[in-house]
Parts: sequence; structure tokens; C-alpha cells
Amino acid sequence: MADDEIPSDSSTLVIIVDTNPNQRYITEDPKILTGCLDAVIAFANSHLMQKSRNELAVIGCHFHKSEYLYPSPGKPLDVRQIDGQYELFTLVEKTVKMRLVNLIKSQPQEEKPGESLLAGALAMGLCFISKVRREASPALKISSRILIVTGSSDTAAQYINYMNVFFTAQKQQVLIDVCSLDKHLSLLQQGCDITGGLYLKVPTLEGLLQYLLWVFLPEGSERKQLVLPGRGRVDYRAACFCHRELLTIGYVCSVCLSVFCKFSPICTTCHTVFKIGGPLPIKPKKKKMKV
Amino acid sequence: MADDEQDLKEYRWETGYEKTWEAIKEDEDGLVEGLVAEFAQKAARKALTPRRGPVRLGMMRHLLVAIDCSEAMSSQDLKPTRFLCTLKLLEKFIEEFFDQNPLSQLGLITMKNKRAEKITELSGNIRKHIKVVQGLLNLALTGEPSLQNTLEMAHRVLKPLPGHASRELLVLFASLTTCDPGDVNTTIQNLKNEGIRCSVIGLAAEVRICKKLCQDTGGDYGVVLDDVHYRSLLLEHTSPPPRARALDAGLVKMGFPHTAPPSTQSDTEPPITICMCHIDEGEGVGGEGHLCPQCRSKYCSLPAQCRTCGLTLASAPHLARSYHHLFPVDPFEELKNDGQSQFCFACVRSFTDVDKQIYRCNRCVEYYCWECESMISSTLHVCPGCASRPHLYQRLPDTS
Amino acid sequence: MSESSKFKSSNLNATPTLQCKDLHEYLKSRSSQFLENLYNYPTICLAVYRELPELARHFIIRLLFVEQPVPQAVVASWVTQTHAKEQNKACEALSELSVWHEAPIPGGLPGWLLAQSFKKNLKVALLGGGRPWSMSQTLEPDGKARDITFLDAYALERWECVLHYMVGSQQTEGISADAVRILLHAGLMTRDAEDGSAVITKAGFQFLLLSTAKQVWLFLQHYLQTAEKRNLSSAECLAFLYQLSFSTLGKDYSTEGMSNNMLVFLQHLREFGLVYQRKRKAGRFYPTRLALNITCVRDGVAPLEAKRTQGYIVVESNYRLYGYTQSTLQVALLGLFTELMYRFPNLVVGVITRESVRQAFRGGISAEQIIKFLEQHSHPQMLKTESGGIRTTSVLPPTVVDQIRLWESERNRFTYTEGVVYNQFLSQADFVVLRDYARAQGVLSWQNERTRTMVVTRSGHDDVKKFWKRYSKSS
Repeated sequence: MADDEIPSDSSTLVIIVDTNPNQRYITEDPKILTGCLDAVIAFANSHLMQKSRNELAVIGCHFHKSEYLYPSPGKPLDVRQIDGQYELFTLVEKTVKMRLVNLIKSQPQEEKPGESLLAGALAMGLCFISKVRREASPALKISSRILIVTGSSDTAAQYINYMNVFFTAQKQQVLIDVCSLDKHLSLLQQGCDITGGLYLKVPTLEGLLQYLLWVFLPEGSERKQLVLPGRGRVDYRAACFCHRELLTIGYVCSVCLSVFCKFSPICTTCHTVFKIGGPLPIKPKKKKMKV
Repeated sequence: MADDEQDLKEYRWETGYEKTWEAIKEDEDGLVEGLVAEFAQKAARKALTPRRGPVRLGMMRHLLVAIDCSEAMSSQDLKPTRFLCTLKLLEKFIEEFFDQNPLSQLGLITMKNKRAEKITELSGNIRKHIKVVQGLLNLALTGEPSLQNTLEMAHRVLKPLPGHASRELLVLFASLTTCDPGDVNTTIQNLKNEGIRCSVIGLAAEVRICKKLCQDTGGDYGVVLDDVHYRSLLLEHTSPPPRARALDAGLVKMGFPHTAPPSTQSDTEPPITICMCHIDEGEGVGGEGHLCPQCRSKYCSLPAQCRTCGLTLASAPHLARSYHHLFPVDPFEELKNDGQSQFCFACVRSFTDVDKQIYRCNRCVEYYCWECESMISSTLHVCPGCASRPHLYQRLPDTS
Repeated sequence: MSESSKFKSSNLNATPTLQCKDLHEYLKSRSSQFLENLYNYPTICLAVYRELPELARHFIIRLLFVEQPVPQAVVASWVTQTHAKEQNKACEALSELSVWHEAPIPGGLPGWLLAQSFKKNLKVALLGGGRPWSMSQTLEPDGKARDITFLDAYALERWECVLHYMVGSQQTEGISADAVRILLHAGLMTRDAEDGSAVITKAGFQFLLLSTAKQVWLFLQHYLQTAEKRNLSSAECLAFLYQLSFSTLGKDYSTEGMSNNMLVFLQHLREFGLVYQRKRKAGRFYPTRLALNITCVRDGVAPLEAKRTQGYIVVESNYRLYGYTQSTLQVALLGLFTELMYRFPNLVVGVITRESVRQAFRGGISAEQIIKFLEQHSHPQMLKTESGGIRTTSVLPPTVVDQIRLWESERNRFTYTEGVVYNQFLSQADFVVLRDYARAQGVLSWQNERTRTMVVTRSGHDDVKKFWKRYSKSS
């Protein structure tokens, strides 16, 4: 984030589309997914329209696995223009739609859809971005960001993966933007805050494209110039490992930093036995405070 | 002297010729391109040999950094001088240190004129340390350093700290001599007894007493070759060391400041309060901040130790930064590229003839290129394949 | 006293600099009628869009789906207060290119409305609809399809042929009279007074040091200017050019349905290596890298060139220069400002000396151009070098960069200012009064009390004259 002010020569955008069929807006009306997908594709093409060197990847995140929808591995599809649309944009649209159908068809029938594994897709996105940076000429200034479009809720189960991904993104100066279609996502909001991205929960799915274009199309250096929704407050409380409850005061194992809501003699994560009886160094002071 | 030398390797000048050119072989077309790429890959991989350290690490670190400010630092073998180079790298080190160990504390000591002087107290305040380091730029470099005085000073500072925290000293030593008031060996013994880990980075040549110090107390000793090597040696000290035997484990009470989402009548501005970290300087008046859940003192940045009630204040991501040490990714298997897969799962790069080796995660059975493999094991710590499979991703440990 | 006004010589800008307009400036200089006509092509809309400032692009995106005019105050409120300057620039750019125009909204407030054709055709390019571009007829798969490496080599060879001709290699084969005419028209070459052969001009030397993308764009700009004489519509040519620039490398396109004029144009492009055609009547062509992204000339960095042409120069802090190249053209370019010492099959070694650089200055090349050229073509290894983890701003050794600049400023020891001389004052008092007045106004360039002479800048002359008249009248 050091050279935020200088406009980049090229910007890389990875869009992660959550296609999990158990999202509420899909279960209510499966047709909406097509509408949302069209909006995302139009948004993706608008990104490519900004600069000739801009790079794009679209990752579909289904409940059984995540896969690249664009670019397709190996040779690109052979696409000819069918109307006045720019050839590259037609290619994006065709590839994404075709590969998404394949992805959905490959879902195991007997399994019940679980939660969307966005952390895995994020990890893929980061690998893609670092590949783009490796292959570009070293003189090129590249800004990168990842946009997640999802209607799922986030659960603490993927917490470790999420955090690892967020910290890697922060280190590599990749912004993580989140566009939530349904619920408030506190974990992903933390990710936006850590990496300096934007978090937006859209009030309505109609006009999704407008929300995307207004808020998420400007890249990092351009966002400073525009009036965009604020960061809001982020809940940074830790969840204890034992009950997954958010704590304001908790106990932390000095060896492995696991969080517990109650004092226990043995750490369940690293199996360290704690010294009992020895007064904790901060206790006496605390008592003084209470008096 | 020879009997406590651990590595009995012969000296560099005693070894035979290394016939480096014999390793280079031309392929069918008489080109060496593929081979060169392979060498580059191997070198890159060697540079980040994974630290498959034990799971129990000293996460809460207390590190003293002693900087040699003697005449020997003014030498120009590192550009522009040893001292300026050290300061520049030290700034980077401090940033990286707190990035990796957000709950740790750092203190700085200077060594000059046979004295050791504490220039910053142990604290977790990055800005303060960096400011002091920048303030050293115009320091006059005089006299000889004293290793023993430095060690005594470190001993005094680190001894009273609680047993669950790791206690470390890092000496950046340019001089080849030390001027000590007594027997340095007894001081080393004391440090060893206290479980204080001492590491030394030498800027000139290997010095035996430094080597002994590191060996006895379980630290690392390195001598720099050039500025790039210096940097990598220094940055190695940012990752937490294996937990020393003498360390006691403990549960630390910690506060996670939380401000409720702004109420519906957001017209009411939050009351203006003074931030506790800036109270000495008489500034830091403002509305926003983190409130200690125990005593409601306000802090403008985390982590911090509450000045009023002594509670350690942190936010969840601070703890999460070190979770990758606890739940590392299983190493990938290196395979010969026989066309098992056409492209890397993570970055969709097509494999070419230059990719002699590809990597497979044995849990999700996906294939990766060497660049992604090194990124996953060194920074990402998430296997993209496993993390997107419902049965394989890393969860928090179950309560059972 | 008499007040004589003489002008000092006003030789302000001695070296002519090569004008390289970008698309924006090029279009700005054309009439709005012409622009209106251009915006009927989706490709042009796309190209114009990419050339706009960042903020202007976001304005368009936000207005793209709005049918009625939007109040100017609303548009202004999208930008933070601190960036009002950028906002004005963006609005100006949009108005200049007639992308939007002012339209009152019902309340009487001024509003902005996107040009109808621009909006329609940008939407077509982005979302689809409308007619396909002229060259996208379906084709049978090419039996002898050409791959990207072949196309790169072909483009490079053709383009270097043009450049070769310029550096005066006497070979004239492979370059047509048309190309020569354009070079002459552009002022890059000129007819020799004696034998009428074409010789390179100062501007031509500067042209050689530009990046390939810039060269192509500059060249085409002049081509378009001469196009009308050859009964080619420059709007049509420009539209076709941008169609090419938005095509995919390594794919073949059909010539079916192209007008005769366009086929002529295509042949010209073929000559410069912008497209590849096996035979004149092949019915298909391949665009090359030169034709792709011809608009991105504004950026300073190396354009999307083939990997192997990327960089070949290593400069050391001892002024030695190594060029890893086999091309005689590139060697000749290096020879413009270096003293070449050794030549190997794929490497030349030279040294940058005061004499060699001054030689280049005499040829009309500026220090900035030399430095830029070295930076643009520096070897990838140079870009990677880091010292102690501290990356310097330029990839070149600072000593060399500074020295080249110093060598240039050594030639420019005179600065010229226009001025008016006042002399032959009758008394010392008069002189002092007028001098002090001029000094107080900050317009005094030079004065000598002994000879009672002073020089006032051109802009201050009227004021000082008036003051003198008032003064002499009152006394």
C-alpha cells in the first residue's frame, strides 16, 4: 500500500463467484443466479475495458470444489464475434458460462450441499495474482484485488484458512473486496479491513451490476478520489476454541495462542500442562483495581 | 578447543576443487536453458527450506537487540557503512518482527565505549523503536564494545520476566575484540541457567567467544557475507524460535476490545476522550479508539498493555497471525513431470518442458507448479486444493 | 534622456522536439463533426474510453445506463473534495472529445448528457448487440496457420526494415515509395539538396529512440494525414485500425466484405508489418503485435512486446554498456550515443563518453531521450538488481544518468530572456529612481550603475515606460 498514489499500469482482478445452491437467494428463485452471473460477467468485462493490460480471473466456488471459470486452463476457446461485442468480452462470457455449467454438472448428487469454501478459492486467487506478477515485466506496476460475490454466510470453521489468506493478501498488497448478497459477513469484513478492501452488503439484488460498477470497479489508487461507502466498524473479538463464542476477556495459551473462555489446567490444542497455583503476573494489579 | 567444535568439517581452503562446471550438461539441442531453469528452481527452494519446527514455539517473545556502536561499525565493507546498513535493515527487522510476533516485546541496547546502554525499554510499540533507530543515524561511533556488560544488562532486564515468555538476546557484533571487566564465561553460564537464548550476527569474522555463547545458550551464530546475506540472517530471527526447555507454559488473561456497532441515533458523537498511549505527550484526544474491557481506558492502537489494569489487549487477528505455526500445511511430494497434469491447480499455468519437477498434495491429490508450492509453504500456509474440499479443509480443532 | 528599446535575440528553444500526440490530442484537434462520425464505430468508442483519465472513465461507467441528463452538481459530488483538480480535468477531457455535452435538466440546473452514439456503441462493445465488426466473417480453418512466434518475427523484420532505411543503410528494397513519402511528410527524413536522396533529420534520430509502440503510432498518425490525398477516409481507416488493435494475436481474420479502399489500406499495413498475409488475395490475414494496442503509447513503460525483444542493454556505473543483440539496427542505435569497442556475434560492448554523447546532442537528441531509451531497453537482469533490499528509482546507475544530464547542461550555458534596454539617462538620480521602481516590480533583469544602463523584461516594459512618463512629467 506504499505506492497507493501512483496509478498502476495494469490491474489484476480475481472475481470469486459463490455458486453454492444452498444460498438463500438461489433456493428462493433459481433463475436469479443467471441474472447475477450476467451482472458479474458485465462487471468483469468493464474491468478489462479499463486498461489494455488488465488481467482477469473468475473462480467459481461450489460446495464440492472450486474451479477457474476464466481463464480456462490450456488453450482458450475458439470464439468468433457474433455481434458488435469486443471479441475478448465474448470470449469471457462464453468461457465462464460453459465452464460453470460443467462445474455444476460435476457436483456429487448424493451429497447435501455444505457451506461454500471461499477460503480455498481465495488461496487460488492469490496464487493466480502472484503468477501474473511473476510473468509481467519487472518495470510494470501492477495493482491487484480479489472480489468475492457471495450470498452464503461465513462460519468460524474456516477461520484459520481465512486468516492465513488475509495475512498473505495483506503482505502482497492485494485488496480483498466483499459484495454480500444476503447476510452480514463479519469474518470476511475483517478480511476487507485487514487488506484495505471494501465491504458492501447490497440491499437488493436488482441493479447488482450498478452496485458492482459504482463501488468495486475503481482500483485501489482511484478509490481515494471517489466518494465510496465507508469502512464501518469491524468486530475483532476472538472466538474461544471451546465453545466458539465471541469473548471480550479470555485466556490465551502462551505456547500456541489458543483462546479459551475459562481457565483450564491443560491446553486442548497443544496439550501443554499449565502451571497451576503460580499467580498470573497480572492478577494482583487487577485486584487492586477492583477495590 | 577442538573437542567442543561440533562440526569437524575441514576448512574451505582444505577441500578439493569443486568442479561446478561438470554439473552443466547440454540437452539434445545443445542448449542449457532447461538445466539452468532447474538450477534456479533448486536454489530458490533451498533458500526457503521449510522450518518444520516443533509445534511448541515460544510465541510470546521478549527480545533484546544489542547494536554494536563501536569504532568497528564505521568500516565501509557494507555500503554505505556497516552502521548505516545495520540501521536500515534494523528498521525493516522491527516491522517484520512485530508483523510475525504481534504479542511480543522488543528492546534496544547500544554497545560503545565499553558500556552497554539501554535505549528503549521492552515494549510492543513499533513507532517508538523505529523512531529511536532513526535517531541513531548521527551517533558518534567510538571505543570498543563490551560483550560481558551487554550480557549482564540483558540478564538484568530479562530475568524478572514471567516464565511463560521466551527470553532472547540478539547481538549485532562488528568488533573482533571485546573489553570485559571480568570472566565472561560465568556470565554465559548465568544466562544459560536462566534459559536466555543468545544469538549473534557477526559483521566481520567468526569470533570464538560469540560462537561459544550461542552454542551454550541455544542461539544461532552467523557471520554476514554481504548486505543481502545480512538481511536474510537478520530476518531469520523474526520467526519464533523453538521453545526452550526452561519455559513454563501459562494461560494469559487477555482482553479483546469491542465497540458495539454504532447505535441508530448516530448523530450523537462519541464523547471526546484521551488516548492512554499518548497521554505523556499530551495529545491523542479524539472519539474513536479501543476500550479496555476491564477498566474502559482507551487505546488508539492494538496490541497494547493496559496502563491502568495491566491487561494485555489484542484483537483476534493478532492471535491468528501465528496459527500457521500450529497448523502447518503438510509438505507436498516432489514428482517427476510425466504429464500427470497439464496445468497447475492453483495458478492455471500450463506445465512446459522447463518444469522438470511438479508437486502433489497427497491429501487433495492436486498438482502444483514449483512457484506455487514455494508460496504455499512459505507464506500462504493454505493448500488451495484441500481448502476447497469439504472434507479436507483445516478446521479449528474440535471440542472433543 | 533617451529611452531606446532593443530586443535581445529571442532564440528560446533551439532544438526542435519531436511531437508525439496521443490519441486524445489527435482527436481533440479534429472537428466535432469528425468525432460524431467516429463514434459510430464501437471500436473507436472503446479506444477513446481507454485513453480517458481514470475519473472520466468512472463518470462514463456511472452514466452509461442513465438516459436523462444528470445534474453537474451530482457528478461533482462523486469525487472527494481533495481531488477537485482531477475532477475538473476529467470533465474537461470529456467535453473536449464531445463524449458528453451540457444539457439542462427540468429544474433549470446545468446537467451532463453522454453523446447518444457514443453511449450506444460503447454499450454494444461491452455488452453485445449490433452488427459484427467487418472482419469477423467465419473462416475455414487455415491449412497453414501461423503461430505467434512466426508473427512476431515477421512484424519485427518488417518494422526494422523501415527503421533500417532511415538509418541510411542504402538498401532500398523492401520499402515502397508510399512509406518513403510518409517518412518525408512526417519530417523524419528529408530530400538531400544535392542528389535528392532521402536523408534522416534530427526528428528522425529522435524517432529512432522512441519505443516501438510510439513509433508505430506516430507513423500511422502521419499516414492518416496523407490518407485523404489518396481517397481514403481517415475515419474509416482509424476504425479499421482500432478493430485490428482489439483483435486476438495468432488468430486469422477474413477480408470478406471489405471495401476496396480498405483492401488498399490493408496492403499498406502489411508492408509495415502490422498484419501478415501470405498472398495478396489470400482472403485472410493475421494481425501482429505491432497492430495490437496501438493506443497505449501514453504509458512510459515498455509496451506489450514479444519477450525476446524486451531488453538487451546492460549499463555499468563505469559507463560501459553491453548490448546483447544480433540486430544491426539496434547496434546502429547504440552507436548514436556510444563509442563501440568490441563486437561479437550476439554482443556489442561500448562505452558512453563525453564525445559520443555530445555527438548525439549535436544530432538533436536530448539527454532525456537517451536515458529513456536506455531505461526502456534495459536488460531484465538490470531490473532485478537490488542493493541491500533498497530499490533505487531508476534501473540505470545514478552516476551515468547524472553525467549524461550534466553533459547536456554543459552545452546550454546560456539562458535567453527577452528584454528592453534603457540607457542614456541624463542624471544618476533618474536612473536610480527608475531602477528602483523596476526592481520593486520584480522586472529588472540587469543593471549597471556606471554606464547608467538597465534591462527590463519584456512583460515589465509597458509598466516601466508608463511610470517613466509620469515621473518625467511631474519633475
